[in-house]
Amino acid sequence: METYNIIVNGLAKRVSVDPGTPLLWVLREELKMTGTKYGCGIAACGACTVHLGGVATRSCVVPISLLGSRPIVTIEAMADDPVGRAVQDEWVSLDVVQCGYCQSGQIMSAVALLKSVPKPTDKEIEESMGGNLCRCATYVRIRQAIKSASQRLKT
Amino acid sequence: MMLGHVAPSGATRKFSTMRYCKIALLFALVALTGCTYNPPKMATTRADGLAAWQQVYSVLTHPRCITCHTATDYPQQGDNRHRHFANVVRGTEGKGVPALQCATCHQGSNADSTGVPGGHDWHLAPLSMEWQDLNDKILSSAEVCKAVTDRSKNGNRDGAALLKHHTEEPLVLWAFQPGRRIDGSMRTLPPLTHEEFVAATRKWIETGTPCPQTP
Repeated sequence: METYNIIVNGLAKRVSVDPGTPLLWVLREELKMTGTKYGCGIAACGACTVHLGGVATRSCVVPISLLGSRPIVTIEAMADDPVGRAVQDEWVSLDVVQCGYCQSGQIMSAVALLKSVPKPTDKEIEESMGGNLCRCATYVRIRQAIKSASQRLKT
Repeated sequence: MMLGHVAPSGATRKFSTMRYCKIALLFALVALTGCTYNPPKMATTRADGLAAWQQVYSVLTHPRCITCHTATDYPQQGDNRHRHFANVVRGTEGKGVPALQCATCHQGSNADSTGVPGGHDWHLAPLSMEWQDLNDKILSSAEVCKAVTDRSKNGNRDGAALLKHHTEEPLVLWAFQPGRRIDGSMRTLPPLTHEEFVAATRKWIETGTPCPQTP
């Protein structure tokens, strides 16, 4: 066991875990922040996506020992983020969600995309969101919601 | 007759003559057979250089190296060099795209507890450094050699810079310490150790970076 000081959504947290513990389980089990979902555990589905140092990151495969000082931002902080708020509003407006399990990861990836490319093309959306799987196949609505959020943020 | 000095008898003179003849014959043999001291052989010939290059080529085309030297818009993974899962694409800088970067999974070092390889500045080699064709077939030794030595394609590296790249570049070093797979087993290693790889590169460069003839 090692003790780590990390920054999650702007708040300092202190956890004592095995160095190989994935960030996902630090968030869910140690900090009880269950908005970030466990899907596959091998970075193949994107459900566990968080922002690590501003980069959309699969938290299920990043051991806490490799975090360094990079701040962590999770779905719980999106409502207070201008881009996150716009994306969530469009998600609701377009009724994107079906079962909803993958959606926190989808939103985290969508926000990372829009912060880097404010007006993404269809190809850019497909490439950036290609690692986020949705068993309910809500892809068409996800794409539309990203475009609508882009428009909302421009105005 | 003086003590201490004995005049050579006929037999003694015959022995001395034979001894001189033998010594002369030995010198003649040495001269004829080239049986002289040879210093350690230096890599000075084109053949030496080509042999060294083949060793370098065997490493460059190993999956730990070539899977990120593709000609396509995606990296490969695994010893069978299959397309990287999750629809990962190259992106404009070889580091993926905004929400799906290399760094989305690959950190600054290997994550052995989760089986994800990592190293400093994980990225694809630029397309100018492709060592495969568009069908993912590995280029020939001559073609890779030509690409590696073409300064318009290799990042403007001369011999010294190539040697430095092979010696110090973090992602080159990673190939020799690639960590564990998700099942806990070790990833396969290139056919040479890093020290052997650097030595082969040095030998190849000392002979003028010769390349095989294009078939």
